[in-house]
Amino acid sequence: MSVATLQESRSAGERYRAAFDERWRGNDAPNDALIDLRRAALERFAAAGFPTQRQEDWKYTNLRRLEARTFAPATPAAVSANDPRWIANAGTRIVLVNGHCMPGLSTIEPQLPGMTLLTLKQWLERDPAAVAAFIAQTSRAQPSALEDFNLAFFEDGVVLDLAASATPDQPIYIVHQWSDGAAQVMSNPRVVVRAAANSRCIVIEHFIGATAGESFTNAVCEIDVAAGASVEHYRIQQESTRGFHIGHVNVRVQQNGRYASHDIALGASLARVNLSTTLQGSGAHAALNGLLAPLGTQHLDAHTTIDHAAPHTTSDENYRGVAGERGRGVFNGKVIVRPGAQKTDARQSSRNLLLNPGAEIDTKPELEIYANDVKCSHGATTGQLDAAALFYLRSRGLDEAAARALLIRAFAESIVTSLGSPAVRSYLEQLLHERYKVIA
Amino acid sequence: MSMLKIENLHVRAGDKQVLTGLSLEVAAGEVHAIMGPNGSGKSTLVQVLAGREGYEVTAGSVSYNGRDLLALPPEERAREGVFLAFQYPVEIPGVNNVYLLKAGLNAVRKHRGLAEFDAFEFLTLVREKMKLMHMDDSFLNRGVNEGFSGGEKKRNEILQMAVLEPSLALLDETDSGLDIDALRVVANGVNSLRRPDRAIVMVTHYQRLLDYIQPDRVHVLSGGRILKSGDKSLALELEKRGYDWVRQEAAVA
Repeated sequence: MSVATLQESRSAGERYRAAFDERWRGNDAPNDALIDLRRAALERFAAAGFPTQRQEDWKYTNLRRLEARTFAPATPAAVSANDPRWIANAGTRIVLVNGHCMPGLSTIEPQLPGMTLLTLKQWLERDPAAVAAFIAQTSRAQPSALEDFNLAFFEDGVVLDLAASATPDQPIYIVHQWSDGAAQVMSNPRVVVRAAANSRCIVIEHFIGATAGESFTNAVCEIDVAAGASVEHYRIQQESTRGFHIGHVNVRVQQNGRYASHDIALGASLARVNLSTTLQGSGAHAALNGLLAPLGTQHLDAHTTIDHAAPHTTSDENYRGVAGERGRGVFNGKVIVRPGAQKTDARQSSRNLLLNPGAEIDTKPELEIYANDVKCSHGATTGQLDAAALFYLRSRGLDEAAARALLIRAFAESIVTSLGSPAVRSYLEQLLHERYKVIA
Repeated sequence: MSMLKIENLHVRAGDKQVLTGLSLEVAAGEVHAIMGPNGSGKSTLVQVLAGREGYEVTAGSVSYNGRDLLALPPEERAREGVFLAFQYPVEIPGVNNVYLLKAGLNAVRKHRGLAEFDAFEFLTLVREKMKLMHMDDSFLNRGVNEGFSGGEKKRNEILQMAVLEPSLALLDETDSGLDIDALRVVANGVNSLRRPDRAIVMVTHYQRLLDYIQPDRVHVLSGGRILKSGDKSLALELEKRGYDWVRQEAAVA
């Protein structure tokens, strides 16, 4: 019997328990403060297994291909010191390769005023008890199996603390990338952003895939926005088209705080982002923009939850999907209005474009409203390119392919034009230009 | 030789026969006006000439500079010098007006074997044409027709025409929805484009436009055919007497 068959006959829990033991019982077992939390998380994952389509939240996304593989924790590796895929002038740069921070590639120093930036490894070394306490405090009552998976295996990441009223003059640009040739390996990075009262910052997370092998990114990002603070968060997902990508973003916004998300999904064979925002204080606001752009046989899924847990909270959600070839997009936008969260104003819009008969987008609003004096609106459309617009452009001399590409880009770019970072905006415009030049 | 020669054109839209044997010849340098009641097929005619999908040509032919126009895709027709000013210009959010103008112009220039314009040459040209159309620079960076008023849309059509310099311009009710000042601006724009090597075919409901753009020929289109043709005095007569007498005359003949 071959090794592969042997592996596949074991459950995901058994396989990853072995990986866990190998990783944390080895010579370099770190931080005892965390090992119990990790062990408990692993056992919860082992009991639950990977989510299946029988679970309502995973109805449209099948993880069988992910489950069939066993990924080993990735180790650090050298990469080019000036990768052309990095976004130029995006901000203070921190590079994680295979989930490990690479100080030599980063431009963390000098520290910006009012801001403390650590790698998660540094934080673990300096104050493991604080890390354990933070995890215990931010863990949800029922963490998802894949968040537990991250907790069991995470090794490194970025911890960003903003002092009260701090406004660093440049964005924090976090690159998560794979080394060339990385295959059958996984990374479970964690990013922590804590913006104290009245501070403001832009955090850019950029996921870049390896060219060759299959990889699995399972990233967690925890964001706390204190009273009056503002965090603009970009998530640009460009994993390799053979990669798997799961993202968990958990955001808590206090009184009059603002959180803006720009969730751009372009890469991976299969990607799923769970973006969960809780508006905990009156006047808190969330703006969620997203673009799902599957091509080939890509499957890109965004599940968002906006939890209005306090009165006078507002949210504005705008997701667009462009599915070409045999690509598949999934958008599920859940809005919860808690009892007592009066004067909530929640808007949601999902607009989708199908470029081929083989493409598919499933979009679903999900409203749970337990207060009576609220405004909640949602709208979803799915269609094809506008024939009248196409004819108009062709009648001005543009050939059909160019006209189609122009209309596709215009549709997708409407998400990009709202970005506050000019560097990221022009990067994405260029990217979308290239992406649809040949596909139209 | 005529620049445009339409012979016995029959066109169906869905299960409706819209054009029923239309013939028309337009020579370079001429301005023709096509008038007629609602639903007579005026807009269908110019849309078919520009290459809009959704129409079926069941009989007849259209030659343009000796070529079979109907065999060409819309962009080829545009590059060969056919331009349609839309009755209802399409709003295209996210596509810059200036981008479309430049892409269109360079597609046409490339087709004609001319060098593509660089940004500076292009903007110099566009600014000059915009002055002609009384349009300010803010138009350039707006989405194509996005949020434009009716008058702005029509002016934008003529601006595109001025930039693309077609040899056959088809104007589909370019006067509709314009106040008198806007009408003057649009008419001036069109008149400035009159040249011995260029032909203009205007579809209109009203004689009013013809006060500003004097046609060489006026045609009455009704029931999918041209019933009567004449010089500009025919337009004045139609204004006074309506269309019924033309139809009666045609029925008798």
